[in-house]
Amino acid sequence: MKSIEIGFRPNRRKVLTAALSIGVASMLPRFALAASDGDPAALAFDGDTILLARGGLFVSDNGGRTWTAAETPGKVLSLATHRDRPGLVVAGLAEGGVSISEDGGASWRVSEAGLPDGEINAVAIASRNPDMIYASLRGDGLWKSEAAGATWSLAMDRPWLDDAERDPLALASIELETGMGGIWIYAGTEVGLTRVPDCFCRWQDVQPGNAMDALVAGEAPPSEAPLPGGEPILSLASSPSAPEVMYAALRSGLWASQDGGVIWQKRASIAATAVAVHPRDETYIAALLGGILKISRDGGATWIETGEQ
Amino acid sequence: MPMNKGPKDRSAKCTVRRSVHLAALGSALATTGVVVLAQSEPVDPRVEGLTFLGEPVLASEVTAGQQLYADNCASCHGANLEGQPDWRRRLDTGRMPAPPHDDTGHTWHHSDRMLFQITKGGVGAVVPGYESDMPAFGEDLTDAEVAAILVYIKSTWPERQREFQAEVSANDTGG
Repeated sequence: MKSIEIGFRPNRRKVLTAALSIGVASMLPRFALAASDGDPAALAFDGDTILLARGGLFVSDNGGRTWTAAETPGKVLSLATHRDRPGLVVAGLAEGGVSISEDGGASWRVSEAGLPDGEINAVAIASRNPDMIYASLRGDGLWKSEAAGATWSLAMDRPWLDDAERDPLALASIELETGMGGIWIYAGTEVGLTRVPDCFCRWQDVQPGNAMDALVAGEAPPSEAPLPGGEPILSLASSPSAPEVMYAALRSGLWASQDGGVIWQKRASIAATAVAVHPRDETYIAALLGGILKISRDGGATWIETGEQ
Repeated sequence: MPMNKGPKDRSAKCTVRRSVHLAALGSALATTGVVVLAQSEPVDPRVEGLTFLGEPVLASEVTAGQQLYADNCASCHGANLEGQPDWRRRLDTGRMPAPPHDDTGHTWHHSDRMLFQITKGGVGAVVPGYESDMPAFGEDLTDAEVAAILVYIKSTWPERQREFQAEVSANDTGG
């Protein structure tokens, strides 16, 4: 591992400090590349540690002030962690399936038994079971491993939205009851938000909990304020501390919901490409906004740039 | 048509259950041609460990439901409840194939009330706007017949799935 301070808005002082602190000048162009806004990126909290996958994988134990580069088996497109298993990191790779670390990213094992070749563009760990892993295989479907990645099986085809199958770009297992003995798996797609019960009966729109009552009674449906239609949802996050609180990263900004995805409000108007939330504090968010990693400790009302700390 | 909720829902449940019992009993008698006079022995035994909408299930209901399933459901969901091949993969139409109703599927994750609503009113009765090849059987089957099909399906599940589904049904508050 190599230590490096990330200056997301490079200036002479930061560059010099970074170069001196690591003595690895070759890392700087890599970071410059990683900071471009078009690259796939992923964020996750492993306890208090922040993981950032963009270009490479970087780990910060101090709220983003300094970072350590971690080796990975391949290019990481997506990340997942679990509150009940510190150190567990699941990484979806551009090639080679899913990799799993149990020591916070220091070492990895590749998990591909039964998983077809392809790009794993989204991963999630079941909120109630850290041995249950979900992976979205681009152009194929949603796969699951019930044995911590030892074997994989197809869970369900991709969601059908706007008359076509859509790849989940983001997945989140959220501890909200489905009424079917399980919880919901939310998916952000290129055209919007959808969700499926973890029994995998069917993908369906996010609706208020009392929507069925209104339907049966013939009343007006409850109010909703969905995410902007037709816009890719690049990242989703929810904290076990308050699962009804959700965050979504879209090009139009960083959005938040307080009711499990029915009503959304914009919390930042800068293009957001990744978001993560602390497992014990739903107001502690890390997000890539305009290509810059920012931290909010108040649910997105205010933000600070980690590079400035 | 989805069932009503609250007190009306409970009333509807009772009506369904009474109809099921009477229809099943009549069917059993007509089939066997036997008139049972001895009231000390059960005419139609309950199925151990199986309920529907909170009430016991009779063996004759399961028998009647098996035939109704064969007549109305098996062509898509399989004679042995195995579902259509490759049922997790979408059809060219964008719709999902008929899933299995045995323990390999997800039917046992749904409450009695939801299973009844789906069978009677179609999937759209519980997921508004959802497009499915499954028709709403409420136009062709009585409530008692729908219930009989579901108790037959439930009777085939292993103990673990039955217990799980019973808990889901018990926790289903109608939301």
